[in-house]
Amino acid sequence: MASQAVRGGARQVKPLLSLDNEEARKRALNLYKAWYRQLPYIVRQYDIPKSVEQCRQRLREEFKKHECLTDVRVIDMLIIKGQMELKETVHVWKQKGHIMSYFKPTAEPKPTDFLSKFLQGVN
Amino acid sequence: MASLLRQVARTIRSPLIQNQVCATAVRFKSSSEPQLETRPTVRKFNPLIRSQLTEFGQYVAECLPKYVQKIQLTAGDELEVLVVPEGVLPVLQFLKDHHNAQYASLVDIAGMDVPSRECRFEIIYNLLSLRFNSRIRVKTYADELTPIDSCNDIFRAANWYEREIWDMYGVFFANHPDLRRILTDYGFEGHPFRKDFPLSGYVEVRYDDEQKRVVIEPLELAQEFRKFDLSAPWEQFPNFRNVNPAAEDVPIDKQKK
Repeated sequence: MASQAVRGGARQVKPLLSLDNEEARKRALNLYKAWYRQLPYIVRQYDIPKSVEQCRQRLREEFKKHECLTDVRVIDMLIIKGQMELKETVHVWKQKGHIMSYFKPTAEPKPTDFLSKFLQGVN
Repeated sequence: MASLLRQVARTIRSPLIQNQVCATAVRFKSSSEPQLETRPTVRKFNPLIRSQLTEFGQYVAECLPKYVQKIQLTAGDELEVLVVPEGVLPVLQFLKDHHNAQYASLVDIAGMDVPSRECRFEIIYNLLSLRFNSRIRVKTYADELTPIDSCNDIFRAANWYEREIWDMYGVFFANHPDLRRILTDYGFEGHPFRKDFPLSGYVEVRYDDEQKRVVIEPLELAQEFRKFDLSAPWEQFPNFRNVNPAAEDVPIDKQKK
C-alpha cells in the first residue's frame, strides 16, 4: 500500500501549461491583472448596477477561493477556464445576467437560527 | 474372430457410445468451420473484409509498435486501434497519409466517461477512407487533467469536435487554435456528459420581475436525489446469454520489433 502511494506520488505526468509552482503562480497573477484591468470596461459595457470597486472585491474573492490549491495541473486548469471566461466577457458574448450571476443578488441567505428555519420549513 | 466381431458390434449398438460419437462429431464440425449467421435479424458481415481488416490492424500495430496498445474488432467487422495518448497524432497521420489506408476523412470524435477507471475518459476518433470505402476507429484515454494533443493540424474537421469534447467532458486539447465552449451557455459550470454531473444541473435560470432580467440561481430540489434500484431479480435477456463478446482482440506480435 505504501509503495503504491509512493509510486503514485512520483508518477510522471504531462503538464497542462506550467512546469512548476512558480510558473503557475505567475500565470495566476497575470490572469488576475488581466481581469483587474478589464473591470472598468466590463462595468461600462454591461451596464451592471455595481461599481468598479465592488467588482474588484468580487474578483479578489474569486481568486482567494482557490488560494489553498497546490497541484500545478489543477491551478492550470482553473487558469485556462478563467482565461476563457475573460475572453467571453471582454468580447461581450455574455449578457448582463451572466455577469450579474457572479454577485447573486437574488440569493436568499440560508436560515441559521431556529425561528427562520421553522418559518422556511427547513429542519 | 467371430466372437471379436460380435463384441465390436455390441459396443457400437450400445446407446452410450453412439451418443459420445455423435457429440464429438458435432464438436468437430463447429470448431472447424466458422458459424455462418443465418438468422435474418442479425447483421451479417463479409468474412473477406473481416480478414482484410484483421491483417491491416496487425500491419498498423507492426508499423507503430510504440503507440498501438491493442487492436480489436467490434461487432464482427469494425476495426479499432487502441493507442496511448501521446500517440494520437502519429497514428492519425499514419492512417491519413499511408497509401494503402488513406483515412482522409474524420467523421467524428466521440467521448466516453467511465468513472471507475484510472483514466476515466475515452476519446474515440472515427475515420473514413473514401478511397477504400473503409472505416476505422482510433481510441485513446485521458483523465480530467491530462492534455491530449489536438489533431486540428491533421484534420481541420477536428476543430469543433474537440471543442465539443472539451465542453462536454472537460478534456483539455493542447495546441488547439480556438478552444472554448460550443454547446453550453456562457457562465455554465461543469461538464454535462460527465457521469458525476447531476441530471438536474447545478443552477436554474428564471426571469426575475424585480431585477427585470434573467437570473441564475443555485438549484435546490425539495427532495434529495433518489437512487432507484432498477435491477430486476429475473434475467433480462436470456436469448443473449451466450452471445459473443462485443470486441474481439486481434493478436499482435510485440516481440518482433
